[in-house]
Amino acid sequence: MQAEKLQIKLFATTHTVSLEAFVPVFHEWIRVNKLPELMIDVAPYDHVPHGPGILFVGHGSDYFIDEGKGRLGLLYSRKREAPAPGERLRDSLRRAVYVASQLEAEPSLAGHLKFATNELLLRVNDRLRLPSSPAAFEANKAELQAFFGDVLGTAVELSLVSEPRELFTVSVKLPPGAPSPSLAELLTRLGGPPTA
Amino acid sequence: MSSPSQTWKDQLSTQMPEALAREIDVFETQITLRKQGKIEEKLFAETRLRRGVYGQRYDNGQRHDGEKSQELNFPCGALTKGPITVWDAPGMMRIKIPYGKLSARQLEVLAELAEEYSDQILHVTTRQDIQLHFVHIEDTPDLMRRLAAVGITTREACGNSVRNVTACPYAGVCNTQSFDVTPYANALTYFLLGHDDCQDFGRKFKIAFSGCEGESCGLANFHDLGAVATTRTENGTTLRGFRLFVGGGLGSVPQNAQLFDAFLPESELLPTAQAICRVFARLGEKQNRAKARLKFLVKKLGLEEFKRLVLEERDKLRPDERWTAFLSDLHVTDEAPLRPGSPVPSGADASFSAWQRTNVRPQAQEGYGAVTITLPLGDFTSDQARALADLMRKYTGDSLRCTADQNLVMRWVPNGDLPALRADLQAIGLGTGGAGTITDICSCPGTDTCKLGISSSRSLSSELSRQLKEMGDELPEAARGLHIKASGCFNSCGQHHVADLGFLGVSRNVGGRRVPHFQLVVGGQWENNGGSYGMAIGAIPSKRVPDAVKRIVGKFVNERQGEETFHTYINRVGKKEIRAIVDELQVIPPFEVDPSFYSDWGDPRVYTIGDMGVGECAGEIVPFVEMGLAGAEREVFEAQELLEKNDVAGAAKRAYGAMLQAARALTKDRNQNLGDDPAEIVAEFKTHFFDTKLFFDQFAGPKFANFLFKTHDEGGKAESKEAAHQLVDEAQLFVDAAHQCYARLGSSLSTPVQA
Repeated sequence: MQAEKLQIKLFATTHTVSLEAFVPVFHEWIRVNKLPELMIDVAPYDHVPHGPGILFVGHGSDYFIDEGKGRLGLLYSRKREAPAPGERLRDSLRRAVYVASQLEAEPSLAGHLKFATNELLLRVNDRLRLPSSPAAFEANKAELQAFFGDVLGTAVELSLVSEPRELFTVSVKLPPGAPSPSLAELLTRLGGPPTA
Repeated sequence: MSSPSQTWKDQLSTQMPEALAREIDVFETQITLRKQGKIEEKLFAETRLRRGVYGQRYDNGQRHDGEKSQELNFPCGALTKGPITVWDAPGMMRIKIPYGKLSARQLEVLAELAEEYSDQILHVTTRQDIQLHFVHIEDTPDLMRRLAAVGITTREACGNSVRNVTACPYAGVCNTQSFDVTPYANALTYFLLGHDDCQDFGRKFKIAFSGCEGESCGLANFHDLGAVATTRTENGTTLRGFRLFVGGGLGSVPQNAQLFDAFLPESELLPTAQAICRVFARLGEKQNRAKARLKFLVKKLGLEEFKRLVLEERDKLRPDERWTAFLSDLHVTDEAPLRPGSPVPSGADASFSAWQRTNVRPQAQEGYGAVTITLPLGDFTSDQARALADLMRKYTGDSLRCTADQNLVMRWVPNGDLPALRADLQAIGLGTGGAGTITDICSCPGTDTCKLGISSSRSLSSELSRQLKEMGDELPEAARGLHIKASGCFNSCGQHHVADLGFLGVSRNVGGRRVPHFQLVVGGQWENNGGSYGMAIGAIPSKRVPDAVKRIVGKFVNERQGEETFHTYINRVGKKEIRAIVDELQVIPPFEVDPSFYSDWGDPRVYTIGDMGVGECAGEIVPFVEMGLAGAEREVFEAQELLEKNDVAGAAKRAYGAMLQAARALTKDRNQNLGDDPAEIVAEFKTHFFDTKLFFDQFAGPKFANFLFKTHDEGGKAESKEAAHQLVDEAQLFVDAAHQCYARLGSSLSTPVQA
């Protein structure tokens, strides 16, 4: 995609931990350089209802344990230094899936947190380059269909779910009954963990 | 779909006021010049601060992980945006909202900016600003353009400048006001914005307006300049004026403002403020930042001498039609309600009544209420901001104000709409009650994002609020009206001095380890415009602060006499008694027994003060002349760029502008009333720098000065690209010569020449 600032939200299907529980996890990840990118700080916004939850701030990307629209999930957000246009979707989804898998495996969260792969959101954080409109959706639909169909292993259902003032947001769903890949399978299809 | 090459600059070119668009282009050029190493970092720091682009914690490239400091390897390498401030480190964008007033469209744009450049959060500050955090400096020009398109400037939001002018959020709808101060706050805001007489301060300068003496809303008592509306009658005519206060301030050395004038006529407000700014710029401390606020100057000179100097300066001012022009249309800031006022429907449930009691204030206008929207820690999300914009349009016809206690106020809500509005607010998570009560706690950013933060004021406030709310009905009625405010350090951004219970972050050594603490300050007054400051009682470990609050509140509730206020109670029982009940809380177990005391609220890392950096509140001292010469340099650079694009006329105009700006930067020091007219600048430059030979070069004599005179005579035009090229070269030489002149004269430039 031409827009650089892509976001992916993976929804949590199980979550029996408080948002607060993610704070020490992210602080520790900074300490041990867990992610292959520069991470800077942790900002708790759990006092704000339906907000960005816990923000894990980086230089090129941010990760949120996001409660936007009342649905908990991991929101990956590319801010700067995006890869080449043809790689952007893959890179964003790969980073989101990788961090989701690492969170599921985190000892303090294990068993309390699970992410779905049969549904996700793609959002473009750049109104200038991609406003939220049916025309913009139609113009990008084929590319998104091809990419997500390939990665998720079956034709996906796409719909524009944002109003004009909001960020361009597309819901990506597997058809009912279609098998959903595990995070590990998905990560393999995406080329494995990010390296930088 | 937009083209990938399209920019916000192009997209908004017809929507931005020309002056704002130009200022932002200038800032973008300064960014380019800094990246090329052509602007010195101290000068660039003050430049960006004056555009509201502020530093954040860890922007020195270091972060303590609880065990040791680790380097944050930003890709920018050695490039900095100020002393010890890494270019790529995320920063804070402060957005001035004059007297806190926002339209629905402005709110929508702020929501977009919070999403696209920040973290989805809009933060209301204690100065009625909106702040966005984790913003990259290179995103700031576009961010500013999008604000400019809806009439908002970030100019002078930080740095040594006139900060956001604040005012009572109920101005115009209040029952106790003498008159609506909004048009006066508006006029003073735009009169002083970018004013020459406000460019040479040693520190920031804060102004507040209040409509009355007794309430808290304007907080005029702790400002550099506080204006409280008042009237008097002469010959049967009611005259408007202000009780004008000067030299107030919080910080580490809080100072009550002093009464400068018991009745300053409305027509004298702007010129008197201008004269005060001139005296502050001329005589305020420049070297010792800790003593550079106006309060120290007023104290040093004494009020009477300060007043004499101001009045003397007032007489010297060049008349300015703006001083009184605004008085002919004081209704320019009036708000028109959407619907007629109406009575509150009967039969409301208990939950609504409780919310109404704390969050709705009857307006002076029959049938309307002003609704406070309680924001946790001053935060709300982009989604909430958009939804609020819709509610403004639905209920009020576009009226919202940010408050100094970090909430929002919707005015002109017909009382009959209150239940529906409450329900709509609840649906977006903003229907919480308790505004102005003990659970509605104010806090500065503290260690969350501030480089000066010592303790986590936000997380403490969040925890305190949570625990107090949990008490529910157990919380005694007498305790509900108390105010709690927390600052992360002694600089008082959380305004802890004027709370019933105030806290400021400090650290203490316990068994060889640092432990986060809060100094407890009790008995300050939020009422009477922040009427008096509290007393420091002692430092309490952060984790024990909630216990301390409950003990003190409990003691107050038990010992209160009649309707005694907390302020009166504290004065009656004294510091010693209060200290006695929190004494034992000051002792904590060793780290090995309970390490939780050695971490701060909301941050599991073992506590350290190793992350503290150099604050930017004080800005950088850059004299007016240096800012002017830097501006001239930038104009020459722009002229060169235009020349490369074959814009001959544009290049010549910029080159001429550069020379004028350099000449003005030098000459302004000799003539404070110097205006913007090129002929006047050239004439005054000739008098003070050419005729005196002060500008003459050691070898070239008058040559460079003559470049200015020639260009001025020719009207700053060039007939060909070659001529423009020569003009740009001459401009560069003139600006260089101005730098040389400044270097030769040094501080004597700031000394009036004896006749």
